[in-house]
Amino acid sequence: MSEVFSILEYAFFRNALAAALLTSLLAAMVGTYIVSRKIVFISGGITHASFGGIGMAYFFGLNPLLGAAVFAVLSATGIEWISQKGKVREDSAIAILWSLGMALGIIFVFMTPGYSPNLMSFLFGSILSVGKAELYLLLAFFILTLAFFIVFFRPVVYTAFDPEFARIMGIPVAFFRYTMSVIIALAIVISIRTVGIILVLSLFTIPQITAMLFTRDFAKIIPLAALWGALGSLAGLFFSYFFNIPSGAAIIFILTLQFLILKGFVMARNFFRRDEKVIT
Amino acid sequence: MSKPLAILENVTTGYFSDIVLKNVDLEIFPNDFIGVIGPNGGGKTTMIKVLLGILPLFKGKVTFPQGKPNMGYLPQISQIDKSFPITVRDLVGSGLKTERSWFPHLSAKQKKQVNQMLDEAGLMSLASKPIGELSGGQTQKAFLCRALINHPQLLILDEPNTFVDKGFEQELYRWLKELNKEMAILLVSHDIGTISPMVKTIACVNGTLHYHPSNQLTEDLLKVYNCPVDIIAHGPVPHRVLKDH
Ligand SMILES: Nc1ncnc2c1ncn2[C@@H]1O[C@H](COP(=O)(O)OP(=O)(O)OP(=O)(O)O)[C@@H](O)[C@H]1O
Ligand SMILES: [Mg+2]
Repeated sequence: MSEVFSILEYAFFRNALAAALLTSLLAAMVGTYIVSRKIVFISGGITHASFGGIGMAYFFGLNPLLGAAVFAVLSATGIEWISQKGKVREDSAIAILWSLGMALGIIFVFMTPGYSPNLMSFLFGSILSVGKAELYLLLAFFILTLAFFIVFFRPVVYTAFDPEFARIMGIPVAFFRYTMSVIIALAIVISIRTVGIILVLSLFTIPQITAMLFTRDFAKIIPLAALWGALGSLAGLFFSYFFNIPSGAAIIFILTLQFLILKGFVMARNFFRRDEKVIT
Repeated sequence: MSKPLAILENVTTGYFSDIVLKNVDLEIFPNDFIGVIGPNGGGKTTMIKVLLGILPLFKGKVTFPQGKPNMGYLPQISQIDKSFPITVRDLVGSGLKTERSWFPHLSAKQKKQVNQMLDEAGLMSLASKPIGELSGGQTQKAFLCRALINHPQLLILDEPNTFVDKGFEQELYRWLKELNKEMAILLVSHDIGTISPMVKTIACVNGTLHYHPSNQLTEDLLKVYNCPVDIIAHGPVPHRVLKDH
């Protein structure tokens, strides 16, 4: 146990802890929107498109996260535009974006002279190397998103649930839908550092699905998802450190385990409750 | 007679380049109770979207001689994602139109309004339930509450009798009759047999619109305007529906 506390003395580990916590809180809000609107596939498209940006940034010697952000925001707003126009089959457009992003990323990474040591960290996450600057960026984006959710909570939910009715009520639906797609894109890119491209979407969905075992109320799913997400991320972080495995895999593994255990618990509870009702 | 609430004049519209409605004319007066019938895909929902101002017109115009009325809208249930995590109370609250509509929480006064509405509809015990756990009839009632909470002058209902049993339907229609004293109602339904005795006039939408200024259906109305509704199938009241001219 003392070993657990002793690593807290290291600055890099405290940074990692803060990053894991902030990422899971951010994912709790944004992920609840994603899961409620059933746009998990769209978000997957945005995530993988962003890899194209990472590859290009490598090639041109720019900051990879910046490249990822540009690609993610462009594809997110592009998909929202397509879905509002409704002319193209949305899912085929996403599939194209998904594969094109990955292909571009790989092409540019391979064209970049020399070895790219950071590539693995983008695919699998390397939370232990998160620096102060990245932490502040994460904190700033978290605060902005939190403020947006607090101030515009009702229109965000209404435009997600029934955009047509929201429009009749005079809510600027396009503004909220586009703003939310930008927030989704940036939240995903910022979280890539923690869990990596391959698993980032799990961070935005598994805590929500876990929370939805207990409630079907948007406003209550967020705090519950934050709780399960934070618990799983912190446990996953220690797991990752002590067994020396990539942080993304460790965190998602714990989150999934947590879900399965709670699912079993809820099923057992329902089973026994039913029994009680039959008897009385 | 007072001025109409809404006038559709020579409206032609559709989606992308497909024309769905052609040269539609319709006037809605403050005390109207219009039953809208027509085949699947005939353009009933499309006409409603024109009235609500959420579908651009190819041709013609929509005017509101008394100024834009407050409209309450109950969408066709097939357009709604019932698995969305929203409670009955929040659903009804989403129908409140106020200067605070962007604010995260409803004011105390608004909460009271929502509770009153739920009470009136007998939905109080279900207020905290997610809409996905409601029965068909309860769902329709909850959406009707959302449409009503803003005290509309024109209530637009798109097939509120879907997934609803006969008993519930009768209850719904009694309620609508009461509401009609205070507001105009436009009711879309497949079930012409049941709505006909209740509505005041009938409009048949099938690419075009034919307005029938009475609630009596004649064989030729249905034939000439190609509104294939199955009259005989509607049990105990066919003789009230069909009247010799
Ligand atoms: N969003 C849309 N995009 C493209 N076409 C549409 C859209 N909505 C409706 N249509 C088309 O417009 C036509 C009329 O549809 P509408 O929903 O108005 O019919 P309806 O009379 O309400 O039918 P139902 O009784 O099945 O509800 C249909 O052919 C339909 O395919
Ligand atoms: Mg329809």
